[in-house]
Amino acid sequence: MKPFDYVRADSPRSAVAAGGARARFIAGGTNLIDLMKLEVEAPERLVDISRLDLGGIGPAEGGGLRIGALASNADVAAAHAVRRDYPALARALLSGASGQIRNKATTGGNLLQRTRCPYFTDTSQPCNKRRPGKGCAAIGGHTRNHAILGATSHCIATHPSDMAVALRALDASVEIEGADGSRRRMTVGELYRLPGDAPDRDTTLEAGELITAVILPPPPAGAAQSYRKVRDRASYAFALVSLACVAKMEDGRIDQVALAFGGIAPVPWRDGAAEEALRGENPGPEVFEHAADILLADAERQGDNAFKIPLVRRLLKAELARATGTGDQR
Amino acid sequence: MNTPNTYIGGHVERVEDARFLRGAGRYIDDVTREGMLHACVVRSAVAHGRLVSIDAEEALAMPGVHAVLTAADVTGEIPTIPFRRPNPKIGPYAQPVIARERVRYFGEPVALVLADSPELAEDAAELVLPEIEPLPAVVTRDAALAAEPLLFPGTTEDNLAAVFTAGKGDAEAAFAGAALVVGDSFSTQRQTALPLETRGLLAEWDADAQHLTVHGAAKLPFFNRRAMAKMMDLPETSVDYVEHDVGGGFGARGEFYPEDFLVALAARITGRPVKWVEDRREHFAAIAHSREAEAQVELALDASGRILGLRGEMFMNVGAYVRPNGMTPVRNCAQFMSGPYRVPNIALQATAYVANKTPAGTFRGPGRYEGSFFIERLLDMAAARLGLDRRTIRQVNLLTNAEMPYPLAQIRPSDGSRAETSCDSGEYSEAFHRCLQAFDWEEKEKLDGRLIDGRYHGIAVSCFIEGGASGPAETARIQVAGDGGVEVYVGSSAIGQGLETVMAQIAADTLGLPMECIRIYHGSTTYLAEGWGSYGSRATVMGGNAVREAALALLARFRALAARRLGVGEAEVSVVGGQAVGPDGAVLDLADLAAEGLAGEAKFLNSDATYTNGTAAVHVAVDPETGRVEVLDYVVCDEVGRIVNALTLHGQVTGAAVQGFGSVFGEELPYDDDGALLVGTLADYLVPLATDYPRVRCLSLESYPSPTNPLGAKGAGEGGIIPVGGAVANAVASALRAFGVAPNHLPLSPARVWALLNPPD
Repeated sequence: MKPFDYVRADSPRSAVAAGGARARFIAGGTNLIDLMKLEVEAPERLVDISRLDLGGIGPAEGGGLRIGALASNADVAAAHAVRRDYPALARALLSGASGQIRNKATTGGNLLQRTRCPYFTDTSQPCNKRRPGKGCAAIGGHTRNHAILGATSHCIATHPSDMAVALRALDASVEIEGADGSRRRMTVGELYRLPGDAPDRDTTLEAGELITAVILPPPPAGAAQSYRKVRDRASYAFALVSLACVAKMEDGRIDQVALAFGGIAPVPWRDGAAEEALRGENPGPEVFEHAADILLADAERQGDNAFKIPLVRRLLKAELARATGTGDQR
Repeated sequence: MNTPNTYIGGHVERVEDARFLRGAGRYIDDVTREGMLHACVVRSAVAHGRLVSIDAEEALAMPGVHAVLTAADVTGEIPTIPFRRPNPKIGPYAQPVIARERVRYFGEPVALVLADSPELAEDAAELVLPEIEPLPAVVTRDAALAAEPLLFPGTTEDNLAAVFTAGKGDAEAAFAGAALVVGDSFSTQRQTALPLETRGLLAEWDADAQHLTVHGAAKLPFFNRRAMAKMMDLPETSVDYVEHDVGGGFGARGEFYPEDFLVALAARITGRPVKWVEDRREHFAAIAHSREAEAQVELALDASGRILGLRGEMFMNVGAYVRPNGMTPVRNCAQFMSGPYRVPNIALQATAYVANKTPAGTFRGPGRYEGSFFIERLLDMAAARLGLDRRTIRQVNLLTNAEMPYPLAQIRPSDGSRAETSCDSGEYSEAFHRCLQAFDWEEKEKLDGRLIDGRYHGIAVSCFIEGGASGPAETARIQVAGDGGVEVYVGSSAIGQGLETVMAQIAADTLGLPMECIRIYHGSTTYLAEGWGSYGSRATVMGGNAVREAALALLARFRALAARRLGVGEAEVSVVGGQAVGPDGAVLDLADLAAEGLAGEAKFLNSDATYTNGTAAVHVAVDPETGRVEVLDYVVCDEVGRIVNALTLHGQVTGAAVQGFGSVFGEELPYDDDGALLVGTLADYLVPLATDYPRVRCLSLESYPSPTNPLGAKGAGEGGIIPVGGAVANAVASALRAFGVAPNHLPLSPARVWALLNPPD
């Protein structure tokens, strides 16, 4: 680990003032400390935000739920309002990490965790996400867990968060405090960026910006929510493919639907066209297949992960069948 | 077998547990010394290359950094690590304790940094810059066999460390006369034992006494002392290996590794105690790997399912060097593939090839797990072809007690006493029947191959033998302290298997004393002049009998001393419950005679192996949509000659089974084409967790005591893991019979099973 300065912030304002391109905010530290030990991350300064008053889970202005950036993953998953109104989020959180990590990991930190691509964490290997311009050792390497959508010739890593996938399906936003004290909001969809030719930047946050809360809109009334995660081991394993599904039926037709996928792209993945193809339709295998065709039209295998393409299709069909009451209800 | 009121055979709770559960265990990282330095190993990030130079200037300039040792600090030839079972071919492949001109695997030590704290040492190690000219890496069998390139050019002509044959009878004739020949290709993946506690060492050099003490011993301290003394050019008595609590061994921990020498060298050069404790990432690259095996094997049978012969080839990737027991899995796989079955004709060849990966060694059930997987798959394939029940084909081939001793295949080149070995005792169908009865085969068979609630159910049965004893000798010394307490010193090591409990049971029963009087001292070369250790399922058989003999010697001495004190003949003294009673009723306690040197010593000699036999049955459910296999029930029944402690035995069997599920489903150490190890954390290496822990049931029998030792015990505990690959793979095949899949390659990860169901077009 490289030496660093340590600053304890006493307000969000002082935190962003102390932040910057060479600094990192630290709260739970469950990902950052590991990366610092490996020297994948070598910040010059750590700004400790763990004592800020950014916890708490409560009603948001104008309806919905506000989750403080420092609320732990365990607390969010256990919160009554989350379990009642946003079960997909509770399930996504509980499917991730381990009990110990969820106790420590925060909401903001979960959103900003880095990829688990083994080449990203192995500093003896070239990685454009770690050192832009060095090349990508994953391409042509061991790619079982890599992306089938949204990858580029610079980076094929996936985003590891389960929570972010559920938030994306639930149309959540993040509240951000800027370096100049300004505040803004953007959707979780807008928060993440595709690697393009700058895979070192996972998000659209500017240097020094601090996530202060996640805002969930009022729960979609009458919609079925689910989160299903397919992985190599039943706990403490990242998703090969996961799906957060929010679907509402009206007179036997699909009225609303949101499908967010994890494990298949550099960001929690949603495809508006695939969802559009489902809206207003009578649910059934052909309709689901058609949506999967749209979703996977540009899917590309990376070496070892060809299995992900049919797996996404099956997961989509199975979860939609369940959500619309047209298939196996187990 | 059990007599009333004995400890042996009882469900005796482990005496170690009170210490472990209260956090009072003392592991190597808990041991500290005044003024000690901390070491960090600089490892090669290149799998294969020429080591041109090492620039340590920047590291040495850091305050708190004391030295950076490289091959240049080793005087003379770089020592190589000795073999446990030497054979003529493997000599050139021994591992040097530090790389000098060439690196051969990702993680090979090239330098050692010594600093005031482990953190400083680690930071400084980052600044040590080895210049390595990369060479093409040999990763696959094809590249290794093609000798492109050679790992040891100028020294060897190929990349083949050894070629063993396992032979018996006339295999060619057997195949010529067979009603059926089944054969296929199989493979098991590279993995590692993964003890919970990573490795660590603390070395102290006493310059005045010219004495070296190495803390952190496990498994075989006496062998390592001998190796170290030779490398250090010291008399053996000038080196001690000291054992503390050990968090698991499983065959990998406790062998002589490069760090043993480097940490000791550092202590000798600096004159200060030097400590090194591995982190998990380092552990994955440094500790021995195992199990990377491929086989192309065939079984010849008659029409009734009797095995006539076994033949074929096996290839094991043993990594860049041959480590002390790197050949054990290779030769074991060939010798023990026939398992518990009557196989009159065998011609197997097992080739160990080197490649630019971490060197291999043993892992619980070495070679046996692989071989069992191969033959159990072949038996189910043969049963299907012959239209036989899968139970029948095993039953007709299981060995009977009337055939004992039953010789297994001979290993050539000979690598010691076990090149020729025989099963010792047992009616192998007994454990088979008990297992199937407990499993309720008839009832479960109704589910076999059926789709129920979206999952295909399957069952299978698999039989095994487990070698034990691993002679030739073990030592023990027992002495009575002034307070009447009994101190038992054993050459066996404790690696978390409950040794203190089992040895105390044996000592207490033999001496007729309560266990609470007994204290066990183990695993350190300071206790006994010679000893062996704990490996190859030997501690209970070899160490246990040594304790028994030492206790008998102590009782004889007690009787003699008591007779002298009482002024009567020895025959007139009765010794019962730790007391000597004279003809007139005079009573002497052990403590009364302690001052007169009340001690007993023994060296138990036995070069014959014991063979526990057993059967495992498994019930799985396979999700065809995801390829996930869930184990619903796993029953193991083994016949162990004599049960000393049913709790520790079943704990080991259960643990082995769960560890086996890791082998079968998830654990894998992948390398990329350049020889880079792609696993660095426990998030990448999928060991079973609580959520992967199915119902595991163990039964043990003690119907056929081993004739090799007075206790009648057979080495046991690996029975959970040896048959697990074959059992699970056969159950998956049975579940998916409608699809005609052949799960012949492990691991059966969801993706692999799914691919079997969805073959690429």
